[in-house]
Amino acid sequence: MKKLAVLIVLAACLFAPAAAMAHPLGNFTVNRYSRVQPSGDRVYVLYVLDLAEIPTFREKDAARDPEAYATAMAAKIGRGLELSVAGQRLALESIDRRLAFPPGFSGLKTTRLQVVYRSALVEGSGPLSLRFRDTNFAGRVGWQEVTVRAAGGATINASSAPSKSVSDELFSYPKDLLKSPPETTGATARFEPGSGAGPAPVLLSAEELQARVAVRDTSGGGFAKLIAKDELSIGFVLVSLLVALFWGAAHAFSPGHGKAIVAGYLIGTRGRPRDAFMLGLIVTVTHTAGVFALGGVTLLLSAFIVPEQLYPWLNLVSALLVVGVGLTILRWRVKVWRRGDALGGDHSDDHSHGHSHSHGGHSHSHGPAVEGRSGLLGIGISAGIIPCPTALVVLLAAISLQRVGYGLILIVAFSFGLAAAVTGIGLIAVTARRTFSRMSLDGPAIRALPAISAVAVLGLGFAMTVRALSPLL
Amino acid sequence: MTRTSIFIAVFVALAVGVLVGGIARESRSAPAAAPAPRAVTEQLRAGFGAGDTRVLVAQLQGQLRQRPTAAGYSLLGLAYEQRARETGDASYYSRAEGVFRRALDIAPDDRAALIGLGSLALSRHEFGRALELGRRAARQDTGSARAYGVIGDAFIELGRYREAFAAFDRMAALKPNGPAYARVAYARELIGRPAQAERALTLAIDASIGQKEAYAWNAVQLGKLKWSQGRVAEAETAYRAALTVFPGYVYAFDALALVEASRGRLARAIALERRAVDSVPLPQFVAQLADLLRANGDRSGAKEQLELYGVISKLQTANGVRTDLETALFQVDHGIRLRETLELARSARALRPSIQGDDVLAWALARNGRCREALGASKRALRLGTRDALMFFHRAEIERCLGHAEAARAWYRKALDLNPHFSLLFAPVARKAVA
Repeated sequence: MKKLAVLIVLAACLFAPAAAMAHPLGNFTVNRYSRVQPSGDRVYVLYVLDLAEIPTFREKDAARDPEAYATAMAAKIGRGLELSVAGQRLALESIDRRLAFPPGFSGLKTTRLQVVYRSALVEGSGPLSLRFRDTNFAGRVGWQEVTVRAAGGATINASSAPSKSVSDELFSYPKDLLKSPPETTGATARFEPGSGAGPAPVLLSAEELQARVAVRDTSGGGFAKLIAKDELSIGFVLVSLLVALFWGAAHAFSPGHGKAIVAGYLIGTRGRPRDAFMLGLIVTVTHTAGVFALGGVTLLLSAFIVPEQLYPWLNLVSALLVVGVGLTILRWRVKVWRRGDALGGDHSDDHSHGHSHSHGGHSHSHGPAVEGRSGLLGIGISAGIIPCPTALVVLLAAISLQRVGYGLILIVAFSFGLAAAVTGIGLIAVTARRTFSRMSLDGPAIRALPAISAVAVLGLGFAMTVRALSPLL
Repeated sequence: MTRTSIFIAVFVALAVGVLVGGIARESRSAPAAAPAPRAVTEQLRAGFGAGDTRVLVAQLQGQLRQRPTAAGYSLLGLAYEQRARETGDASYYSRAEGVFRRALDIAPDDRAALIGLGSLALSRHEFGRALELGRRAARQDTGSARAYGVIGDAFIELGRYREAFAAFDRMAALKPNGPAYARVAYARELIGRPAQAERALTLAIDASIGQKEAYAWNAVQLGKLKWSQGRVAEAETAYRAALTVFPGYVYAFDALALVEASRGRLARAIALERRAVDSVPLPQFVAQLADLLRANGDRSGAKEQLELYGVISKLQTANGVRTDLETALFQVDHGIRLRETLELARSARALRPSIQGDDVLAWALARNGRCREALGASKRALRLGTRDALMFFHRAEIERCLGHAEAARAWYRKALDLNPHFSLLFAPVARKAVA
């Protein structure tokens, strides 16, 4: 009976992630984050404020008119920010802001505000010293984080603050038991300004601001909790496997897990349902292997590196893989295109492809099949290689609890969930394309689709590479 | 093998090479001889400035990353609990619980972890559980003073005073330090010996010099003890001492607010209480702010704080913290849903059969007009001989309700003689009654 209650609570945690708070006093935190961004000939500050339930409730009258509230808060916060470059105080002007009230615990609301501040023009060139301080909400309990990151031709030579946020700019607070919440309210740096106007930090859309908060307390939460139960019954294990499966599937829909790439690839190579399943299998195997490998490496290297430092490198690996796959598809498309033209230029090539695939395609598909299989491998690997941090946490927790077997099974279930979702996406992509070809919609756009998707894959790969490189450089 | 698969194989090899290279680079930059990562050293430096637990926390975190041990985890848990007391950041409590559990996973009978979990259970008002944990720890080592602290605290809340005092005596005999003296002082206060309580508290303060949070806590307790006897100026001195050692100490702001209010400086009192509520919105701070605002004639402001109180207790209940007794007292004081509150007080009293439980029940019964029953509860509340003006006032109200005008007057006077400012809401009522 008691275990049943545990399960119900657990399920409730998964479906209402905000309910995972362990202690009431977490509800009064005032969490703030500043990204100081020298960009072009100015310095921008992206300020993120996350008010928990109680401070939000206390502001409810002021917040009755959200528009006015956002403006007033932006002005008030701006007055509490101190920025100086080369010893000169620079005025900060709020140029854009966005406010949301994501649902919190127990039917209450929380507040999330993003403000972009722009400094006056930076005078002088060459390495300049920068000093930033956030004096807002002094004495209030909460997460206090500052990062410094350059854009628009500016470069950072040295900085007391990291370039990357550990909380994803207050969107998922890590729950590492061996870390205290940061209490950084300032930063000093040396930077070289760029010339001309640089890009300003970009605000999240209202939906993102409102919705992404839901995952706020689940980083390592719901799934990782499964492992920490005292005793295990068959029923519990079965349900936890289901939960892990579901969690894995849900994870596939979180950003960065290659849905777009998978779909693009399958369209680009005119994949069959079999390919989609194959892809799912590869993803499962890769993800499982990836977690195991990273877990092993983490254990071995834990004396030297923090696991988080591995993630950027894994990101890079998977980004490069995507680039490679994109290049391969593109190369192959170009080859087919040329051959098609050589055969008479009446686009019969594309036509026959479409038809032959729908009933087997074995006779005609030597090109795509061979190229496809290795490409498939690459895509599958890239979709699965970045182990979800939660999965890794589960594995390590299992190891530390001496319940490795259970941990491994959970990881496999999680990977299967992930793979099922990826396969599903792949199947949708395949059927969608088939429907198109059966309808013999044979415009130039449709014929160009494979090439376009190859370019899209390539572009995504480059974007991932750039993203993966930025924290490493 | 087609050219493409070679191409991809080369790619994978390259990528793996990059990964391995990355690892090699990372491991070079963090040699085993100097394991402290940058974040830790930064925290260490900051900690030296503040001179507090932060340093210890950072050291332990670094060590545990290298080599997890039960002793390390439970020590870190205790340091986290201390951080929670220092900062008011309750996320440290959940961290503390997490690391205590890890310690117990490594060593299922780790004494420090059991004691730590015991004191967490106390702060969540799980007194039975706290008692069990404290006893488990004491069984491990009958010479553990801190285990007897947890046991005694739990007994106090469960109304088992004889056993509680025995535990505190044992604790003080084993280790006559700040925490032990502070508990002895509280025991003496409960049995109505404020002078002796004061002596013990002074010893506790002396023993906690150099530990700013412990010092500030004990100083505020001393101030409150003096305040409860109407010695306003001495109380203020103690509160200010706490603030000197620990600037921004919320409990001192909260206590000073009453001092200012007693001198008729309500605006200052409100500002102080707001500072406390802003930093750590504890329910008792919010309730006091509401009372101050009301005393200042700001009805809508007071109403807002009462709503906030409702929100906070809703959050606490939702998080599984039983604050029934505090909620019941608050609701009776403010005349909120009196009939339901009586039921709440009854169940709270059943869970915490302490003299506070009896007093709240007596007060709830009286406000519901059940004064005969209330008299019994009030007698139980005063069974230790505690000198508490608010309890005297409750008794006076009960006597008045029963038509014992003479006895009521005597109790009102007793309350006011002890502390003329015993309550923002009810001292004026008592004054009117004896006028």
